Amino acid sequence: MEAGHQAASVSYRDVTKRYPGQTEPAIRNLSLEVPAGEICVLVGPSGCGKTTAMRMVNRTVEITEGDILIGQTSVRERDPAELRREMGYVIQQVGLFPHRTVADNIATVPRLLGWDRDRIAARIGELLELIGLDPDMRDRFPSQLSGGQQQRVGVARALAADPPVMLMDEPFGAIDPIARERLQNEFLRLQAEIRKTVLFVTHDIDEAIKMGDRIAILKAGGRLAQYATPAELLMAPADDFVEDFVGADRALKRLALMRVRDIDLWQAPLAFVGQATGEVRAKLDGAEVPHALVVDSERRPIGWLSETDLARETVPQRPDSGPQPILDLDDVMRDALADLLQTETQYAPVTDGDGRIAGVLSVEIISEFLVSPEAKVEEHAAVERPTAE
Amino acid sequence: MTAAVAQFAPLLAQTEIHNRAEGEASCVAQNKAFCLDWALDNFDRYTTPLLEHLVLVVVSVAMGFLVAFAMALLSHRRRWLVPTFTGATGVLYTIPSLAFFFLLLPVTGRGTDTAIIALTAYTLQIIYRNIVAGLANVPVESREAGRGMGMTHRQLLWRVELPLALPEIIAGLRVATVSTVAIATLAVFAGAGGLGEPIYQQLDFKTNIVIAGGLAILMAIVFDALLVVALRLLAPWRGREPASARRRHRLATLRRAPEAA
Repeated sequence: MEAGHQAASVSYRDVTKRYPGQTEPAIRNLSLEVPAGEICVLVGPSGCGKTTAMRMVNRTVEITEGDILIGQTSVRERDPAELRREMGYVIQQVGLFPHRTVADNIATVPRLLGWDRDRIAARIGELLELIGLDPDMRDRFPSQLSGGQQQRVGVARALAADPPVMLMDEPFGAIDPIARERLQNEFLRLQAEIRKTVLFVTHDIDEAIKMGDRIAILKAGGRLAQYATPAELLMAPADDFVEDFVGADRALKRLALMRVRDIDLWQAPLAFVGQATGEVRAKLDGAEVPHALVVDSERRPIGWLSETDLARETVPQRPDSGPQPILDLDDVMRDALADLLQTETQYAPVTDGDGRIAGVLSVEIISEFLVSPEAKVEEHAAVERPTAE
Repeated sequence: MTAAVAQFAPLLAQTEIHNRAEGEASCVAQNKAFCLDWALDNFDRYTTPLLEHLVLVVVSVAMGFLVAFAMALLSHRRRWLVPTFTGATGVLYTIPSLAFFFLLLPVTGRGTDTAIIALTAYTLQIIYRNIVAGLANVPVESREAGRGMGMTHRQLLWRVELPLALPEIIAGLRVATVSTVAIATLAVFAGAGGLGEPIYQQLDFKTNIVIAGGLAILMAIVFDALLVVALRLLAPWRGREPASARRRHRLATLRRAPEAA
């Protein structure tokens, strides 16, 4: 097993790029810091310079002014070819070599680095397993693979020499939406394991929000509009451009970033099976949720207590209305909202990992949260926004 | 040219006498399209011309390839050289072959050298253009990926660009080889022998023309087939099936054949 290279931070120090013959710079005084092991997405409209910004890291585009540091070392002091062998590189068209088999493609950088055969063969096996490709595919040529498989091999090839930094230029841009979603999820799972520092270029804000630990939004002329976590970006766009780029539905997008546990839940009066209805009725006065939730002795939700149920002596084992949908604290908020809307219920019990009741979620809680969140977040959004100068 | 023909006149006369002396009144005397008996009896006389022809073609195409390859590499990173090289090889290509031989005679004298220089010059245009086109057609993303992974210019050239240009390079070699086989029949006028010698010695003897011409055609076909096989072996990635599967398929076909028989 390869001794993994420590992921390294990438920091842009006042970087400017001017292409010869152009008056306007393509990138203007870009400064940002990508902490080791995080995914930084560079996003923006076409012509904003996001690809240029990424390519200066491996010097496939040369820096005009300023510097980029990998860890503590300036890329300008490195031999370009050697520097590139230490960085995984994935491009939109994948760029697998058509004349080489899957195995030979993956072996590209290890061979440039002069690894011996056994080490390379072992590494190819490891990587095929990591990307979930059948070992029989080793000897296939790229033309015999599907688009998704090619993209996976492209990622494996970039990871071959276990580089501390990965550069990904619209890696899933040419893939159909369904396969793209799967590849994105696969990559996030992979990243949780390998913890590389990733620079990821896309023009798709949804992809940026999904993939990024941090997002750098660039606008025309290579200016950094905002550099923040996805949640900060959605809650507190720095200016009109960012607000516009993020989209009018940014409130909904935020729900995709949240889990049910991130919100203050309401509490419903609990009605234990067999309990006297009189006691329950007393609890209903002035409760946040005007209905009582029937639970078993383990506090697991069974259903909602109806008026007819209340007319009985004790809380029944089978209340008239069921508890569905039951949500989990770890559910993504967007999915929770979808469940609520789909079952046409106002309230849904939320349970913890053991199935015990933790609170109640309602459409009302979500809409209240969406209407006035700004004040709450502004304070901790401001902490990590390096654009403010 | 007149000088050359005059030189063959005694030879022509000699052969006719020789034929008459044997008294083959039938096929040869009637100059039928093809006389098998005569062909079998006299095949020896074609061995030397055939070998000479082979040497002319192989040496000329090999040298042509080396020169064109060097030119293509030179102009690969210096694009401005491409029109110059294309123009220069184009001019060489337009010189009529006989004129070329006679132009070279005062410099290199009669013989194989003269013929090979001219034949080599003819191959340059086709081979050079195909190498340049092959390199130009390498997918941009392959080049970008190679560079982005830390290949030097030289590594990119030898590991990515040339292998991907191979199909077009070999296509150029096929055309160049076949046309060289044909043009080499004129090498006799430079005094370099080859299959042109028997042809021009007995232009009016049909069996002779069929044999000498047939050998030239056969040589062209064999070279062409060899190059096709070479391409299959060197560029197995071109088909959709993996090379191993294709081999398996071929073996299966071979194994089935005797059963069918």
